[in-house]
Amino acid sequence: MSTNLATRASGVSNPAGATAPAGNHSALPVKAGGMAKRRRRREARAAFLFLLPDGIGLTVFVGIPILLAIGVSLFSVSGFGDYVYVGLKNFQRMGSDTLLWQSVGVTLTMLIVFVPVTFVVALALAMLVKDRFPGVGVVRAIFFLPNVLSLVVIGVLWQFMLVDKQGVLTNLGGIFGLQDVSWLGTPSLALGTLIVISIWFTMGYQMFLFLGGLTDIPNEYMEAAKIDGASAWQRFTKITWPLLAPTSFFVLVVSIVAAVTGVQAFDLVYILTKGGPANATTTVVFYIYQQAFTFGDYGYAAAITTLLVAFLVIVTGAMLLVTRGGRFNADAD
Amino acid sequence: MKSPSSQDGPFSALVSRRSLLQGTAGIFALGALAPLLSACSTGGPAGGGTAKEITFWNFYGPAPDNNPQSQWFVKLADDWNATNEVKIKLRYIAQNDYVNGNTLQTAFASGSGPDVFLLSPGDFLRYYNGGVLQELTPKLDPAVVSDFLPGTLDTRKVDDKVFALPMESEPLAMFYSKSAFAEVGLTDADVPKTWDDLLTVAKKLTTPSRFGVGFETTPGYYQNFTWYPFMWEGDGQPVSADAKSSTFNSKAVTDALTFWGDSISTGVAPKKLLGNGGPDLPANLGAGYVAMQQSGVWNIAAMKQMAPNVDYGIFEIPTPSGGTSATTLGGWSFCANAKGGNPSAAADFIAWALGSMSADSIERGRTWNTVAKTNIPVRSSVQDAANAKGAFSDPNMAFFLNVVAPNGRGEPRYPPEIIKPIEDAIQAVQLGGKDAASQAAAASDTINAYLSSYSGAPIV
Repeated sequence: MSTNLATRASGVSNPAGATAPAGNHSALPVKAGGMAKRRRRREARAAFLFLLPDGIGLTVFVGIPILLAIGVSLFSVSGFGDYVYVGLKNFQRMGSDTLLWQSVGVTLTMLIVFVPVTFVVALALAMLVKDRFPGVGVVRAIFFLPNVLSLVVIGVLWQFMLVDKQGVLTNLGGIFGLQDVSWLGTPSLALGTLIVISIWFTMGYQMFLFLGGLTDIPNEYMEAAKIDGASAWQRFTKITWPLLAPTSFFVLVVSIVAAVTGVQAFDLVYILTKGGPANATTTVVFYIYQQAFTFGDYGYAAAITTLLVAFLVIVTGAMLLVTRGGRFNADAD
Repeated sequence: MKSPSSQDGPFSALVSRRSLLQGTAGIFALGALAPLLSACSTGGPAGGGTAKEITFWNFYGPAPDNNPQSQWFVKLADDWNATNEVKIKLRYIAQNDYVNGNTLQTAFASGSGPDVFLLSPGDFLRYYNGGVLQELTPKLDPAVVSDFLPGTLDTRKVDDKVFALPMESEPLAMFYSKSAFAEVGLTDADVPKTWDDLLTVAKKLTTPSRFGVGFETTPGYYQNFTWYPFMWEGDGQPVSADAKSSTFNSKAVTDALTFWGDSISTGVAPKKLLGNGGPDLPANLGAGYVAMQQSGVWNIAAMKQMAPNVDYGIFEIPTPSGGTSATTLGGWSFCANAKGGNPSAAADFIAWALGSMSADSIERGRTWNTVAKTNIPVRSSVQDAANAKGAFSDPNMAFFLNVVAPNGRGEPRYPPEIIKPIEDAIQAVQLGGKDAASQAAAASDTINAYLSSYSGAPIV
């Protein structure tokens, strides 16, 4: 029993098991090291078993399809079971595909505007609702509400609000001199409108992510800073912002992926504009869908998908590299 | 084994050259595996089989609300199953998914397409060139082929062989609200005859909360389908008769594009319609959003059901000066999958359902076109049967039958590679305010590039 206690004392407090405390029992360090190893092995086995279902799911439904898509991108596919090997021709074709590059422009605009604006709005909302006040739960729920609604319902609602001449928001615009503006029917406005709707849809979810990060920051830090005379801005920049870095990083990664391939990039486009007017809202993923299921050109669609996935891997990979895998606390190393 | 050196860089420490090569080979192997995966489907052997049950995918029935069209499809299957060894099994797919989604496409791509399915002319070439359309001619009585009205089978034939049987004809016309006309002092006699008239009348009908006229604005097959009559009225065509070159860069095309652009730029037409857009008359004309709207014969039934109190009239699509009236005859057809479980039985079923001179088949056509839906029948025997039952005593149906349909042309079977540049030109001029001539020229170049390498059935 005493040996067990000793083992626990040394093993648990020193998981590396490299230097067990010296004592009268010369065999104890060896035993303690062995027990720790067995314990680590058991934990590793448990972790493996817990991760296994997710790993199988990811392999079957994500990993293999990605590899298959890369494979299909090297073929001309008729959509009726005929595969002809064409090498890199599908990739070469992209260079002269003006519609593809137009859709790349749309997606980049979405990325450049949607990601930072949603980030700032969601963080601001989280700061507003982080403290307890009467009705705070209701306010938080209202911001999150769009996420529990069907996207089709959201699309139809916005269509009604923005319809030419009769929409509530269209008429509201008239007060500010924006009479007879077709928000979803004008090429120069449709993408901006779509981005605004996307931000409205996403901000509640991101607000909750930030809220989680903010509640993790110990109150004592803020109290101490207040006593030291730090202003609200100083408390935000010197305490909140640095300690919120892991959450911010996660929000950014999720937001980038969402802007490129998420519901903003496809579902809302499909429901609200079908890529129009005049291809103004045709994102890359919507273009991929058209190539595959309108044109039946699965090989070309797979080639574009391959490059899109590569882009996302590079961007998120670079972010992970810069942040050393999302670790922001130097002490953790 | 070579140890990592500084020249190898950090990447090689993680991934050896051998594993990289193995990975690349694996990807190529997976690519080669893809066709094999599709062959592992349940679609049965290519070229046919003898399955005792065949599937029929459609967007009518059995629908959850058991509407009259759904009932027609269920009865169709029940009647066939009562007297045939090979049974038919219906699979209902919601229309939006069937038309704009990917259910049918992915099924065919994986080799598990249905035995019988509905097909629009716009998709005919893709499926025919893909080798999945079973020839129906051997199953058809020659009397039936000549019973189909002129032009209704043209886009379903290749080398005089029939590969799809149309179930209906859905011509387009202009609908107008009689109360909106009365509000501004217009009568039935003032319905526009020319494009200029249409813009003038539409301007009179436009108010702060209503547009004078509505054309489809959502890009896609349907918008092209509704725009073709305007191009035809000036004698325009996207491709030459031999389908070797584009004829899209023409005055007729430019005029038709400009006319649609003018309807938006003058503020008499909306940039976005309500509900389901152009096909949806109750949500637009019925709701007072537009005073005139281009739409199809199916709306006679839809208005009765959803906007019964709206008094409306119909007139032919106006023409340009010196042009001739035209409309598009849309409509879906039944097709059999040549690579299905039992192509021969599937073809038998289609011939029995829509292509027999038996009284049952004619009655089936009548009930579909004039009871379950409001269409123009595509067979003269069916039209006669419908007439005998007073189906065309309704003045709106009679107008479609006697005035609109005779000027109709079958919906062209242009492949997506031709549809897309036309769609882009329409959108750019109509909603983007771009110059029609330059857009027509650009679309023409794209069509020419496609035609230069096209091989397959004639494009008509």
